[in-house]
Amino acid sequence: MTDAAQLSRREMIAATAAALVTPLLPGGAASTPVAVGVPGKFLTAAEFGMLDALTELIMPADEHSPGARAAAVAAFIDGRLAESLEPDWQAKWRSGLQTVDGLSRELNAKPFLEATSDQRVAVLTRMAAGEQDPKTAPERFFGELKGWTVRAYYTSKIGIHLDQEYKGNVYQRGEFAGYDAK
Amino acid sequence: MTLVKVAPPLDQDIDLSRTYDAVIVGSGAAGGMAAHVLTTHGLQVLMLEAGKKLPIEQELRSMQWPYDHPRRGEAPPGSHHLSFNEYTIRKPPYAKGAAFKHVYSYVGGWTGSDYVKNILVDEKDHPYTGTNYAWVRARCLGGKTNIWGRLALRLSDYDFKAKSHDGYGEDWPISYADVEPYYDKVDLYLGISGVKENLPHLPDSQFQRPSKLNFGEVKLRESLKKGGQVLTPYRAGVTTDGLKHNKYRSKCYGRGACERRGGCDIHAVFDSPTGLIYPAMDTGRLTVRPNSIAYEILVDKNTGRARGVAFLDSTTRKSYEAKAKVVVVGASTLESARLLLLSRSPQHPNGLGNSSGHVGHNFCEHVMGPGVTGLIKELVGKPHTLDDGRPGGFYIPRFRNLKDRQPGFIRGYGYEGNSGHTMFPAHVMDTPGFGGAFKRSVRDHAGAFISMGAFGEVLARYESYVDLDPDTKDKWGIPVLRFHYQFSDNERKMAEDMVATGREMLEAAGIELVGTDEKVLTEGWSIHELGTARMGNDPKTSVLNQFQQSHDVRNLFVVDGSSHVSASCQNPTWTIMALAWRSCEHLADEFRKGNL
Repeated sequence: MTDAAQLSRREMIAATAAALVTPLLPGGAASTPVAVGVPGKFLTAAEFGMLDALTELIMPADEHSPGARAAAVAAFIDGRLAESLEPDWQAKWRSGLQTVDGLSRELNAKPFLEATSDQRVAVLTRMAAGEQDPKTAPERFFGELKGWTVRAYYTSKIGIHLDQEYKGNVYQRGEFAGYDAK
Repeated sequence: MTLVKVAPPLDQDIDLSRTYDAVIVGSGAAGGMAAHVLTTHGLQVLMLEAGKKLPIEQELRSMQWPYDHPRRGEAPPGSHHLSFNEYTIRKPPYAKGAAFKHVYSYVGGWTGSDYVKNILVDEKDHPYTGTNYAWVRARCLGGKTNIWGRLALRLSDYDFKAKSHDGYGEDWPISYADVEPYYDKVDLYLGISGVKENLPHLPDSQFQRPSKLNFGEVKLRESLKKGGQVLTPYRAGVTTDGLKHNKYRSKCYGRGACERRGGCDIHAVFDSPTGLIYPAMDTGRLTVRPNSIAYEILVDKNTGRARGVAFLDSTTRKSYEAKAKVVVVGASTLESARLLLLSRSPQHPNGLGNSSGHVGHNFCEHVMGPGVTGLIKELVGKPHTLDDGRPGGFYIPRFRNLKDRQPGFIRGYGYEGNSGHTMFPAHVMDTPGFGGAFKRSVRDHAGAFISMGAFGEVLARYESYVDLDPDTKDKWGIPVLRFHYQFSDNERKMAEDMVATGREMLEAAGIELVGTDEKVLTEGWSIHELGTARMGNDPKTSVLNQFQQSHDVRNLFVVDGSSHVSASCQNPTWTIMALAWRSCEHLADEFRKGNL
């Protein structure tokens, strides 16, 4: 069983090797390629593109591990929104994304998806400013956005195996790791 | 490596025309133990379980990766788990008026609700009323033992003779010496992991191989040792060496699934079906009927003694009678009290076995919520290790009001704690910001925290009780419980001490305090409800004698946590089973002599 788990991990690493070798973001060009994963189940293509970009800004690829885009975080959130039976929750996301766009127009004089990388970071920085005590609509949406992004990321293959290098959920033999209580 | 995978015994035909030697109501720790002991002594036994017999391995799916589940472990849309705020701000019945298709208790959290949705009851079908209470119920074969927390502790004479120690409440009608041999039997039959510490207030068990402590835990243990305090590896009701006499259970392989899901699909963790019920069925003397909701213990008009149990089939709603020479109740502390109160007859107008008026009263449990979290700086940025394969982290036994006398409160509490890496880096929720620095910080700090939360004794008080609601009924038309139960000043003072002392412990160990939880969770949260049919020597102030036998009805036994006289601060499952073993041995003996 240990072997099976490790095998699947190796396979998974091979599958994501492309993502690892492709240099991504920090300070990169404006026109980041949009959307890995399934676009628009609940969200429109434009909304999905925004969400995909936002999640990658929160949880970016770096030299250690791929980011939210490779982990298909936006597709997971969109899928949950699509099947939800709670219209209030769906509306919260739709209006939340509109608010982000509104903030971008205010700060950058252009929609979020047309903004440069630095301009997008400026929008998210403004949203995150009230993280401890959110007051404005964009600040309140930041908590929802970040919460779902990190949940989806750290429960994904990439989050668990490549970023966290989680070693458990395997059949261990003999004495388990640790220090003797004596 | 071979894993034990033996199918459950085949279901037997139920013959309701016969009179069984004993009928057992409930299949959890208490009912399961009663079945084991009585069948071992040759009695013919029928067990009634209100819930389903689940294909439990398919429910638990202990090793499923989150990403292999369409909702990362969450239940499908339309399901809802009650939150702390709902339990606190609203009044029971909590599911009343809910727009959701299904409403469940808080258990399950956001990563695991799909794994327990068939184990927990739907609050819509099972309402209750009265004061706020987070009542967690599992209606299925094995009950809550399918998802229990595994901490398996003994009580001592600091608990059994607590009144003699501090003057409050009542002593139990037994002492540690009476129960010790039965704790040993439970240890050896079911398996328990831990380290001997030679503490008078937390007696050692017959341990199998312990799990080890990790770096942060050893650091705290060494620091506590200087002040004469103890931190010991989690005493888990888990077989780490295996059990040669049980073909349904594997030994523990350190998969860690118990921390994530709360259930073990190879049954290294004790659960009542594989640990007790299946082996009892293999004797040929136990018949199990699931989907059977007991609603009345039937009484012989002439003798006043129990003659059987009336129950409804949960699916057909048809009513049946199971006839037996002895009735053994193990439906859980609150459901057992409910059943006794429902069993009114001309001979027993206040409910069966309730001439004392104490059924439902002296209701007690553990208060929880307060705790601390610290950062172990030495571990920041270190390579990630495998820490969560253990059945638990550590336990700090009670230290208050043993030799000392606290000014603010009586009795004590212990801490349960954990440190090291987990599959989901929970500290992400408390890490501010976003982007590359945020992601790196989460990675560097993973596994570098140590957290502990306290469980404290709630005093048994006559004024804390449940009774039957005169109006509200469950889905099957059976009157429901009404709660009259709230924490008192003793619990609140104790809760303050839990936080202050936890902080001192971490700081003394050179561990940076990064978080404190001061909030006391809603009554019921610990899922350790006890005391609603207490034992005692005086029939005027107690329901059961020292063998959990009704003072009023000598062929009626109540063998679950309802019999406990006080809550102590130790988790009750192992004590429930030790007492049930002792009482059922007595029952079998009396049965053979014709005294029942």
